[in-house]
Amino acid sequence: MKKPLPTRFWIIALAAVFALCVGLALLLARVGGERVVARVTVDGELLREIDLSAVAREDSFTIETSRGVNVVSVRPGAIRVSCADCPDQVCVRQGWLAGGRVPIVCLPHRLVISLAEGGDEEAFDAVSG
Amino acid sequence: MTRRLATALALLALALFPSALAEAPRTFFAMDTAMSVSAPTADAALLDACEREIYRLEALFSVTDPDSEIARLNAEGSAALSPDTERVLRFALETAEITGGALDVTLYPVVRAWGFTTGEYRVPADAEIAALLENVDWRQVSLSEAAAALPEGVMADLGALAKGYASDRLVEILTEGGVDSALIDLGGNIWCVGEKPDGSAWRIGIRDPLDPASVVGSLSVRGAAVITSGSYERCFVADDGAVYGHIFDPMTGRPAESGLISVTVTGASGLQCDALSTALYVMGAERAAALLPDLDGVEAVLVDSGGALWVTSGLKDSFTPMYAYQTAEIHWIG
Repeated sequence: MKKPLPTRFWIIALAAVFALCVGLALLLARVGGERVVARVTVDGELLREIDLSAVAREDSFTIETSRGVNVVSVRPGAIRVSCADCPDQVCVRQGWLAGGRVPIVCLPHRLVISLAEGGDEEAFDAVSG
Repeated sequence: MTRRLATALALLALALFPSALAEAPRTFFAMDTAMSVSAPTADAALLDACEREIYRLEALFSVTDPDSEIARLNAEGSAALSPDTERVLRFALETAEITGGALDVTLYPVVRAWGFTTGEYRVPADAEIAALLENVDWRQVSLSEAAAALPEGVMADLGALAKGYASDRLVEILTEGGVDSALIDLGGNIWCVGEKPDGSAWRIGIRDPLDPASVVGSLSVRGAAVITSGSYERCFVADDGAVYGHIFDPMTGRPAESGLISVTVTGASGLQCDALSTALYVMGAERAAALLPDLDGVEAVLVDSGGALWVTSGLKDSFTPMYAYQTAEIHWIG
């Protein structure tokens, strides 16, 4: 009859696997990697999360709230508000967002599109104005 | 020995886990704009305190909230003021004094007539503007300890300084809470606490007034506020096609046409940077260039309608023009 592996073996093995998993998660979080995830929120509430690096071709979707309409377009690695019925159109004029920490904001509609990962080149930590 | 090893590994894994959950930037809407506080070493309680402080200040200053101290001052002609309101109002009056009235907190009735607070934009007739201007005079505000009074028809609005002051208060809360690196963004009003976690300076872009998707250049910042006033921030297009901005000239009662389209001020006081960014915009490049060298610890980048830059010499090593502005004419100030 074969002897079963001792308990302490399993304790060590599980602890090692756990440490490995956590370490890997940290590594991925810090390096950022190629994955760029856009978060679309209205009034602080997350409506959509899109992995831009997984976008194959240009596509659009509409965000409609009691305050108004924003049409959001995505293409591989980037996202933008392509059309909106807000009076100032600041969100539309901001163009494609592909990296960095400066989000696209439609103030009248309380819509914010931000990137969860910094992307490879963070041009600015913030933009004044 | 193996049991200890197993325990050690398990404990190591557990120890690493919390740091993987560093607090994400706190974002929220207040003072009519999107705000964010990014402080990785701050815990949720400290970020909660920051958010609460913004709402507290908004409740004191808001000109449209009838319960605020400013609204009561405007409605009743006099009001008791808490230390924050008094501090901001006092600073506004001091700034009016040194800028020849370019910043005037009593402009509110004029700004309101143009529709900037209601969103119902219109161009008032000259006669209406002239009548409203009779009550625009910062010297009419009497401020004593913990109280203020205004004559009939005069109304105050701290909108030009509120976010700058609020950012200073957040810096106080964060530093008292042991945070030495943070990035505060209150609707484009930036405050860089310390330097970045990796020891490098913060890179702050100055939005290009002619292209919202681009920048004029970058500022290398450590421990300072960066606040920009621009013609593009809030504006409306009238029926005749003319574009009217939100920064008013207290002398004319109309959107300022000083030749400047963007003013960025950086320094250790958000309140001061905010107040000055508005005042300098109204003053225009020449008057701003004359005043800036007298202001200790204050640096600025101005963009004029011809695309030229006016930059204080203290920024020679920290301001870098970018894109089209790399070939712009630069007038060095001081």
